[in-house]
Amino acid sequence: MIKITEEEISLEEMINRVRSNDAGAVVTFLGTVRDDGLERMEVEAFREAALMELEAIREEAMSRFHLIAAEVVHRTGTLAVGESILAIVCSAAHREEAFSGCRYIIEELKKRAPLWKKELGEKCERWVGQSSSSSS
Amino acid sequence: MVLAFASFREILGKERELHLKESATVKDLLEELAVARPAFKEAAFDDTGALRDYVLLMVNRKRIDPTQDLSRQLEEGDELAVFPPLAGG
Repeated sequence: MIKITEEEISLEEMINRVRSNDAGAVVTFLGTVRDDGLERMEVEAFREAALMELEAIREEAMSRFHLIAAEVVHRTGTLAVGESILAIVCSAAHREEAFSGCRYIIEELKKRAPLWKKELGEKCERWVGQSSSSSS
Repeated sequence: MVLAFASFREILGKERELHLKESATVKDLLEELAVARPAFKEAAFDDTGALRDYVLLMVNRKRIDPTQDLSRQLEEGDELAVFPPLAGG
């Protein structure tokens, strides 16, 4: 499953969907909002293009690392410190493939998926990945 | 149709429809946006009028190379997306 949602991520449901009798390993990655002195984070997506790119990345990971199943869920909207931004869950026969597949998905997502984060603090706001910031 | 995201959305709005002359290119469209919104010109173009290297573009949801494809002609119904560096995850 590939999903971009404003709703909270249920990691447990994702894990249950990728479990199978053929899988000896399930690896999960959670990206969370770090407290860098910010009050909240806003996450934005070019939804249609991001879904297409995430599906392509998932299929590449499935085939390169012989995954049994893989799911990616990315949040959009306003998130508080500590909340999950992203969850990736991969199952494979062995841990090496599951770890490699999970790492491949997060690294490619960061390079290719049209998604953006804005950090909002008490006195400033900043688009992640852009050098300029402005007072609010 | 022009779609803008993140910092460019804040300047241009999420989407706007533009009617371009026949055989208009991606560059023509970006320049039209720069005329309409000086803040976009400042954010997207440098002092020499060249597109800044962090500006990313998609036509019909496929990335194009701003160093090579600005002269690409747009057709009726094409969708151009303009956005800053990606930062998902």
